[in-house]
Amino acid sequence: MDNIYYPFEAEVTDIKKETPTIKTFHFKLAKPVTFKAGQFMQLTVPGIGEAPFTPSSRPGEVQEMEITILKTGRVTDVLHNEVKVGDRLGLRGPFGKGYPIDKFIGKEILIIGGGVGLAPLRSLIYALFDRVDDLKKISICYGTKTTKDQCFKDEYDKWAAMPKTSLNLTIDVLCPDWEGTVGVVTCLLEKDRLDVDVRNSYTVSCGPQIMLKFVTIKLMEVGFKPEQIYLSMNRRMSCGVGKCGRCNIGPYYLCKDGPDLCYADIKDYPNVFD
Amino acid sequence: MKVYFLPDEKLKELIKVLKGLGKVFWSREREITSARESRTKIKIEELEEDAIQDYRIPGFRSYDSFKTFLLPLPSKVAEYPDDEWIDIKNIKQKTVLLGLKACDLCAFSLLDKVFIEDPEFIDPFYKRRRQTLILITSDCTRAGKSCFCNLLGRTPYVTSNFDLNLSEIKDGYLIESGSEIGENILKNLSPVESNEEQIQERDKNRKNVMEELTAQNADFVEAFSNPDILVSEGYKSEEGWNLGRTCVSCGACTNVCPVCYCFTLFDRSQGEGKKSKRFRVWDSCQFKGFSQMAGGLNPRFPLMEQFKNRYYHKFFRFHERYNEYKCTGCGRCIDNCLGDIDMREVLSGIKIEREKVNG
Ligand SMILES: Cc1cc2nc3c(=O)[nH]c(=O)nc-3n(C[C@H](O)[C@H](O)[C@H](O)COP(=O)(O)OP(=O)(O)OC[C@H]3O[C@@H](n4cnc5c(N)ncnc54)[C@H](O)[C@@H]3O)c2cc1C
Ligand code: SF4
Ligand code: FES
Repeated sequence: MDNIYYPFEAEVTDIKKETPTIKTFHFKLAKPVTFKAGQFMQLTVPGIGEAPFTPSSRPGEVQEMEITILKTGRVTDVLHNEVKVGDRLGLRGPFGKGYPIDKFIGKEILIIGGGVGLAPLRSLIYALFDRVDDLKKISICYGTKTTKDQCFKDEYDKWAAMPKTSLNLTIDVLCPDWEGTVGVVTCLLEKDRLDVDVRNSYTVSCGPQIMLKFVTIKLMEVGFKPEQIYLSMNRRMSCGVGKCGRCNIGPYYLCKDGPDLCYADIKDYPNVFD
Repeated sequence: MKVYFLPDEKLKELIKVLKGLGKVFWSREREITSARESRTKIKIEELEEDAIQDYRIPGFRSYDSFKTFLLPLPSKVAEYPDDEWIDIKNIKQKTVLLGLKACDLCAFSLLDKVFIEDPEFIDPFYKRRRQTLILITSDCTRAGKSCFCNLLGRTPYVTSNFDLNLSEIKDGYLIESGSEIGENILKNLSPVESNEEQIQERDKNRKNVMEELTAQNADFVEAFSNPDILVSEGYKSEEGWNLGRTCVSCGACTNVCPVCYCFTLFDRSQGEGKKSKRFRVWDSCQFKGFSQMAGGLNPRFPLMEQFKNRYYHKFFRFHERYNEYKCTGCGRCIDNCLGDIDMREVLSGIKIEREKVNG
C-alpha cells in the first residue's frame, strides 16, 4: 500500500526568475508523474514543510515538471531565498480533478488570469494548444499590477501566433514602457471588447480571490451563465486527499473535487469569495 | 449469537484473558480531588494490576475519547527521503479497549468512513491501528447530563461491530461475542448461558436508559429532526447562532470530540544531511490558522464563521458525503466548553429563529 503522506524526490534542475517575486522551478522527477492540467502537487521543502502548487508545464511530460511560485510566506520564502539548482525537494500528487477539457471540445475558451494565476493556466494553455483543432477559439486575458509582474513574457509572441488564439494583456497602473491596456483585468471583459460567442463558450479563471470575485460578477453581467464559469479556487490545504478537513467550499473539498470548480456548483454555499 | 452470564467475580478472569491478548486500556471511575471539590470522573487509563479487584465498568462514557488510539499524538507518517515504513511496521501489538460505550463505537465507524472506507485514499496508519484494536463494549446503565445520542437516532447500547459486549445486570454481566476474537475469549471463560429472565432484565435496563435520554432531551427533538437542512438553510441566520457568541476559540470541543479528526501535516528537520520527519497532528477548525491562507486571507473570518464551520461540517458537509451525521451525541463538547455552549441549544436556537422568520 502506498503511503499518501510520503513525498518522492524531485531534483531542481533550473530556476528562472519571472518577476521580482515569482520564480519558475524546473524539476527532474524520481518517478514519472502523469498529471492533467489543473491538477496540483504538494511540494516539500525538506524539514520545512509543504505547500500546494499547480504545475505550469505541459501535462504530457512525465519525467520533468515546472512549478511557478510566488514568494509569500514560510515555505515560499525558503524556496526563493535558499533553494538552488541541484537541491532535492519532495513532491506528492497529483491531486484533484483538473480542468474538464473534454467539455471544452467544440467550444470557445476564455482564459482569465491574474498575477501568478497564469502559472496553472499556462499548463492548460499548452494542453489546449495540443487540441487546438478541436476548439473554436482560445482567448487569453491576463492582468498584472505592472509590466514587471508579468510571468512567461518570452512566450507571449508564440502564444499570440497560435491559430485561433488571441492574447490580451492589461496592467493596473500606467508604466512608461507600456502602450497596451491599463486597468484591472475585468476591463478586458467589457462587452465591447470581448470578442467571444458568449453562448458557445466556457471560461476558466485563476488568480487572487478578489479577482475571481469581480471576474465572476463581470462574466455574469456580460451574459455568461454560472454553468460556463470555472474558477480555480484557493483554500488552505494540508493533506491533499480530502482528509485533513480544511479546504472545502460547501461539501466540496478543493483538493479532491477541485481545485477548479464550476461556479454553478458552489455559488450557493457560504464563504465562496469572502 | 448466544448470550452468556458472567457473574461479578468472573470479571477479573475476563480481564486476565484480555491482558494475555495485548495492552489493555479501560475506562474507569476515578475520584478527582482538588482544593475546591471532589468528584468522580470516568477516565481512560492503562489497566492497573492493583485495581482489577475492585474494577466496575462505568455507567456511561468516559470524560476523554478513544480517538487517541486511532489518531495518536504525535503520529509520524513519513520519513524522507527513503521512507522505510518504520511506524507502520511497529504497529503490531494488539490493544484491548475495555468499557467502550455505543457512542465510542459509533465514533469509530464514522472515522472508518473517512480513513478506510473511502476507496480513493486509504490511510495506511489508521487502517493498521484499527486492525490491532480489540473492542469490548458495554451498555450504558445511566445517561450523562449532556448525553443526547437518542436525538441522532442512536442507542446507548450496541448490537454489532464489537468483539465482546457486556450488559450489567444483577450480580454480574451478560456477555455476548460479536466476532471470532470475541468467540475465542468466551471459550476461555467457559461462561454459563443466560436465561430468559436475565435477557429481560437487560432489555429493561436498556429501555430505562433510553427513557431517561428521551426525557432529558425532549425539548430538542424538533431541532434534531433534519439537522443537515437546518444548519445549511439556517447558516446565514444572524440571530439564530447567537449562542455561539461566547465561543473563545479554545478548541476544547474539537479536541475532546471522538469524531473530530481534522489534522495538519507538520515537518521537522533532524539536521543537515539527515532525514526529515513528517508528523500528523490534530488541528482544529476553531483556530484561526486552520484556514488562513498566504497573505492573511481567511475564508472563515470572523470568529463566528469558525464556530459555524464545526456545525456545518458535522451536520451538513459530512452528511452530504457519507449520509451520516458526524456526531455521536456523546455530549463531551458540551461538558468541556469554556463558553458554556450546549450544541443542543445551538441547534434549537437556529430552529426557533428560522420559524420566526418563515412564520
Ligand atoms: C490548488 C492550489 C494551487 C496553487 N498553485 C500555486 C501556483 O502555481 N503558484 C503559486 O505561487 N501559488 C500557488 N498556490 C498558492 C500557494 O499554495 C501558497 O502561496 C503557499 O501555500 C504559501 O505558502 P507559504 O508557506 O509560503 O505561506 P504561509 O502563509 O507561511 O503558509 C503556511 C502554510 O499554509 C498553507 N497555505 C498558505 N496559503 C495557502 C494557500 N493559498 N493555499 C493552500 N495552502 C496554503 C501551506 O501549507 C503553507 O505552507 C496554490 C494554492 C492552491 C490551493
Ligand atoms: S460533536 Fe460533541 S456530542 Fe457530537 S460526537 Fe463530538 S463531542 Fe460528542
Ligand atoms: S487539503 Fe486536506 S482536505 Fe483538502
